[in-house]
Amino acid sequence: MTKLILRKLGWALVTIAFVLLLNFFLFRVMGDPTRLLKDPRLTQATIEAIRVRFGLDKPVINCFESLNPVKVSLQACAVNPFETQFSAYISNLLKGDLGVSFHSQRPVADLLGERLWNTILLIGAGQILAIIIGVTLGLFAAWKARTALDYTALIASLAAWSLPTFWLGILLLFWGSHYFGLPLGGKETIGSGLAGWGRLVDISKHLLLPTLTFTLVFIGEYMLIMRSTVLDVLSEDYILTAKAKGLTTFQILKDHALRNAMLPIVTIVALNLGFTVAGAIQIETVFSWPGLGLTIFEAVGRRDYPVLQGAFLLLAVSVVLANVIADLLYTFLDPRVRLG
Amino acid sequence: MKRLVLLIFLSLLGSSLAQGTLRIGWAGSPDTLNPGTAVLAEAFTLFDLVYDSLFNLELDGSIQPELVESYDVSEDGKVWTFNIHQGVMFHDGKPLTAADVAFSLDYYKANTDFPFANGYTSYFDTVEAKDDSKVVVTLSEAIPNMLSQLLYLYILPEHVWSAYPAGSAASEFENLDMIGSGPFKMTEYKQGEFVRLTANKEHYAKPPKIDEVVFQTFGSQDVLVQALKTGQVDMITEMPNTAVVSLRNDPNIELVLGAPLAPSVRDVFFNLTTAETCPADDGICSGHPALLDLTVRKALAHATDKLQIIDVALLGLGSPGTGIIMDGMGEWYNTEVKDYDYDPEAANKLLDDAGYLDTNNDGVREMPDGSRDLSFRFYWPNDVIEAPRVAELLSQMWGDIGVKLELQALDPDALTSVCCPSFDYDIMMWGWSSDPDPGFMLSILTTDEVTTGTSETGYSNPEYDELYSAQATELDPAKRQAIVWQMQDIMMRDLPYIIPYYQQQVQAFRTDRFSGWRTDATKVALEDPSSLTQIEAIQ
Repeated sequence: MTKLILRKLGWALVTIAFVLLLNFFLFRVMGDPTRLLKDPRLTQATIEAIRVRFGLDKPVINCFESLNPVKVSLQACAVNPFETQFSAYISNLLKGDLGVSFHSQRPVADLLGERLWNTILLIGAGQILAIIIGVTLGLFAAWKARTALDYTALIASLAAWSLPTFWLGILLLFWGSHYFGLPLGGKETIGSGLAGWGRLVDISKHLLLPTLTFTLVFIGEYMLIMRSTVLDVLSEDYILTAKAKGLTTFQILKDHALRNAMLPIVTIVALNLGFTVAGAIQIETVFSWPGLGLTIFEAVGRRDYPVLQGAFLLLAVSVVLANVIADLLYTFLDPRVRLG
Repeated sequence: MKRLVLLIFLSLLGSSLAQGTLRIGWAGSPDTLNPGTAVLAEAFTLFDLVYDSLFNLELDGSIQPELVESYDVSEDGKVWTFNIHQGVMFHDGKPLTAADVAFSLDYYKANTDFPFANGYTSYFDTVEAKDDSKVVVTLSEAIPNMLSQLLYLYILPEHVWSAYPAGSAASEFENLDMIGSGPFKMTEYKQGEFVRLTANKEHYAKPPKIDEVVFQTFGSQDVLVQALKTGQVDMITEMPNTAVVSLRNDPNIELVLGAPLAPSVRDVFFNLTTAETCPADDGICSGHPALLDLTVRKALAHATDKLQIIDVALLGLGSPGTGIIMDGMGEWYNTEVKDYDYDPEAANKLLDDAGYLDTNNDGVREMPDGSRDLSFRFYWPNDVIEAPRVAELLSQMWGDIGVKLELQALDPDALTSVCCPSFDYDIMMWGWSSDPDPGFMLSILTTDEVTTGTSETGYSNPEYDELYSAQATELDPAKRQAIVWQMQDIMMRDLPYIIPYYQQQVQAFRTDRFSGWRTDATKVALEDPSSLTQIEAIQ
């Protein structure tokens, strides 16, 4: 068991190391962030000084032009190969330093730390609701297969699943603010001075619409998978046996069908984590929800490499970890899945 | 669960609001609270509220003393003596003295990686505090725009900032407490979410009448409009032009239109580089030879219906542009410059007479020697909302006189790399925003800037260069104005640029919560201290 966990963690580390490398080069393709500063007041000397501050005056990794979106002088190329942007990136990471945002000059770790919890709150609430509703719907749709209930649930889920996230978000935003006076953005009322229960209610009000969007978008997937898996399970012999034993419908669904159908759901939840954040980018942008998604969206526009590197590292680590956890969960859900 | 939902909806009914709190919605947010490293306009909006500087830019475009009580300049224009207001306090209760002023100016000068602040100090030779109230700035050479250099050099408390002298200590100082001396104090800040300021009722000159102001960041301009309509904010600093009609019909909302506080311009320009002017290192200079002919550029100007562009692309919210010195620049803007009339017939005649004829009847004219079609590459930045419409309109209008455009949107980076100093384009649409002083905008067309990437056109004219040097050293404002106006005449004559329009700034506020907004000025900036220190809550 320990050996297996170690092996899984070992692979996880290799994956993360690969992501680290990819992250570095991926964002540099976007070009020089100082190019976005188009202003007649900025002299070439100032821009050069800003590049030095960002460490962009050094070659990316070597002097091949294709790898250096920013022009590097020959002098800079002649220096020590360990004085490159890449070596600085790696040595900082080894020290646990994610760097400083080009845009706000703040440490990336602070910035992400501030926003991470908001995203966890949003994704957590949205995913849990989507899973509960989706799985329940799927279960009953399968049980009542080929009835009006099944078809209604199926069509509704497919429709919700295929809605563009940002569009659904904007509709809900305008509808919710107009008819129910729900807040149009932010996490809580600014300067409300609320505490305890009052603050909780205030945050819930702000969370309501983004969570609803999130849930609607993800329900479909869980419902469809649950439905097809349960349909499979229901045709198994042991269900017939259970029926013959005289168990109630509820008992059969709960003890025999649900548990066996959970495997694909666990897989999907773990795999979905990456897509979930993609969904969060759109939802957080529409609802001005101060989370990781919004941070990523803004950082892309500003070519803020350090923030992007940090955010994607965080995402990669969480997706990889989620998959490790899912792998381990299988063994608890289904004793037939043997370790090793 | 049911109870929770019920509670949530019940609590929606009574949302409590502090009477004296003004809520402003905007779609941006400050990049940093550090006045040295900040780049975004939103940051400077805050600095104007929280800090004082020596001089202030008024909404009529004039520059008025702020912390300065009186000032004096030596005969040769090099030595400036400023007498600072006495009894001005920083928000932490310590007095603001000449030493703080000298420290701040020196600080901006010492940090060469401060994007804007450092540039403003480039002519400062020495800065000395003579006593508690007197500061003497000696310049390396006399400049005509000394006061505008001081507008954005906010006075910092030495006792806070001396701990962050230079390098990354200076640029990474987050300045979350934002101790200044301005009419508002920093209370709470969440990056990218909101800024909360309380009134500094003890301000020496303009204590606000309201208690508090909150700037909240929303995801888009459309959401801002909705927030204003539903009363979640009291004022919005920006909106899409499409929202104007619906807000105009709302009885509780008033719209304000005018020139933006920071002058800005949208420009269409031509690749004018020749074999002689092409930058040796980076130049590709692939411009269409026909554009070097002034007759062709004149014909294009005559074929441009600016009013239609304003109607269609801006929904009427703009005025016809003349040059890159924009109407928001006050006295520097040449009001008498004569634009080319919209007259497609005259345009056709110009081209016919110059020998640009459509000999093969494909609807596109050819060069007089028949070598090439008058078919131009036309690029614009894909982050400008109205740009595609403007490009389409120009393509139709110029198509009517037998000129073809190959339209393509590019991201700003790709645009930079084909623009300058490589000059690998024919015609481009882009833009600038600027200081109140015309110096920077005028420099864009000088020969010196062709190799640096600041010149977009490669325009080179010794007469213009000479006038540029003359205005840069002319200390008499009236004489300098005459030169600046003359330069605008030259721009119109030589047509390196066609300026389709000057866009108007549109802001809106709710009339049921606060009164006293400054709406009568030529420039619109309701978030400026001139409004925020004047408005009062409606009882």
